[in-house]
Amino acid sequence: MTSPSLPSDPISGGPMSRGPKASSAGSTPASALLGRILAVGLLLFWSLGPMVWQLYTSLRTPEALLAGWAGLASGWTLANYTQILTGDPPFWRYLLNSFLVGGVSTLLTLLLAIPCAYGLARRSGALRLVMGGTLLATAVFPYVLLFLALLEVARHFGLANNLLALCLPYAGLSLPLAVLLLQAAFAELPPELEESAVLEGLSLLQRLRWILLPLLGPAVFSTALLVFLFSWNEFPIALTWLSRSELLTLAPAMARIAGSSVYTVPYGAFAAATVLGSVPLLLLLLVFQRPIVAGLTQGAIKG
Amino acid sequence: MSRTLRANLVTLVLIAPALLLLLAVFVWPMGYYGWLSLQAQSVFTGLEPVPVGLANWQRLLGDARFWQDAAQTLRFSGVSVGLELLLGLAIALVLHQRWPARGVVRSLTLLPWALPTTVMALGWRWIFNDPNGPINGLLQSVGLATLPFLASPQLAWIAAVVADVWKTTPFVALVLLAGLQMIPADLYEALALEGGHSWQALWRITLPLLRPYIFLVLLFRLAQALGVFDLIAVLTGGGPAGSTESLAVYAYLNAMRFLDFGYSATVMLGMFLLLLLSALLLLLWRRAAEA
Repeated sequence: MTSPSLPSDPISGGPMSRGPKASSAGSTPASALLGRILAVGLLLFWSLGPMVWQLYTSLRTPEALLAGWAGLASGWTLANYTQILTGDPPFWRYLLNSFLVGGVSTLLTLLLAIPCAYGLARRSGALRLVMGGTLLATAVFPYVLLFLALLEVARHFGLANNLLALCLPYAGLSLPLAVLLLQAAFAELPPELEESAVLEGLSLLQRLRWILLPLLGPAVFSTALLVFLFSWNEFPIALTWLSRSELLTLAPAMARIAGSSVYTVPYGAFAAATVLGSVPLLLLLLVFQRPIVAGLTQGAIKG
Repeated sequence: MSRTLRANLVTLVLIAPALLLLLAVFVWPMGYYGWLSLQAQSVFTGLEPVPVGLANWQRLLGDARFWQDAAQTLRFSGVSVGLELLLGLAIALVLHQRWPARGVVRSLTLLPWALPTTVMALGWRWIFNDPNGPINGLLQSVGLATLPFLASPQLAWIAAVVADVWKTTPFVALVLLAGLQMIPADLYEALALEGGHSWQALWRITLPLLRPYIFLVLLFRLAQALGVFDLIAVLTGGGPAGSTESLAVYAYLNAMRFLDFGYSATVMLGMFLLLLLSALLLLLWRRAAEA
């Protein structure tokens, strides 16, 4: 339902489905088309302009940046990239840490969320209602409020400066959304499917592994991507749990770079860092646009 | 009987691990804050908790910085979320059109949402730079004076709003787009037969049927905006002169810079109560809108 190549888009083409800009009464097709091109152009400029500016900045020498717009022919450099890639620690280290934390958190979340979602989807009545409300409330909860208590946990159990331990709170924070999404997907499967598998003598684990999960592939994948994105981007808990610079994930590393004076004002090195920090997500988004959008919209419809 | 018992047991085993982690991550912290807000635990007590009754709460009531931050956080949230809703609706209407390469446009639009907040907060700091950022470059090239976006208390919170709207509008647009796709086409056709035009379609069909999605996205975004932390921490650090400091930043400073854990927990709970109140108002508003 979210695929861009949707065969029948219910209302596009109709006279009233146009955006406000193109919808003035008596508009000819040509002016409507122009309005659309303008609207999409504006949209892309707004979304991508700041990123393009970072890319431009990252490739300019400090002198060229201070000189303003004049002299685009000269003043290009890769020095900003070499500076942050040979720093201590090198910038790719942060990306690697974020990748590790994102991957492990995603696996851990799925491991806990799949049985929970299955257990809840099979039930009806009070338990499901109470859990549904709790999950929704916790999914909306601004988790920044939890950082001090979670830091106390880290202190008490000696979990600070441990990338794998960081995956525990990340899995906990991701669980509400993951369970809500997966529970909705489980509930959509016909109950006869499982009943016949029970008659065939398959155990619960076998049913999950061979019948249910293969059918839920897309939902599991969407959920995994959203959890990965959350873990990749999380800031306050990483900020308080990690202090050793070679263990920092991307988000606190950016904050530390922002606060350091090593990188001097015209922001070439800052911009190179924002570009390098954005590229993995740009790729992820371009490749997996459909499942990510599917996960987000399912969350909205079912939640 | 034993069969239902067994089924219950299986359900319990299935949900228990997730439930335990949820309790540890969401419920225990709030209880811990409740206890900690009744303690003095700071450098003056040697970082050991000492029971002080309601002293932290009394301090909170008279703390001008807390109330200033509360007002600033509410202002930031209200303006940001309002703009995100308007802009998100416009973008959703544009993205809803049939359009070549719509998928690519949609992923590119979603990019700001997917990036870590701290990454682009750093980017925005450069864009708002005075005098070398592109906005001030543009102002200078048309002969205007540069604006100290991040150095002026009047402008800095607007800069934060712009960066927040840029980052989170894609999410709002996507949820509203999902809502648009659920509206049956015949409704529009029927109105067209009656001779209604597009603005009427927007007011009489689109917005009323979108209401559940608008409510959901408002609830989610408002909760997140009231907890704003990452953006402020990197973009302005709460300055200039505390004019962009949010409640979350204040709670963070109390714990990590002033090492006053008891009061930090109290600030956190005060923020939580404010959040509950906002959510409650939103629920009441929805009930009134439905009646």
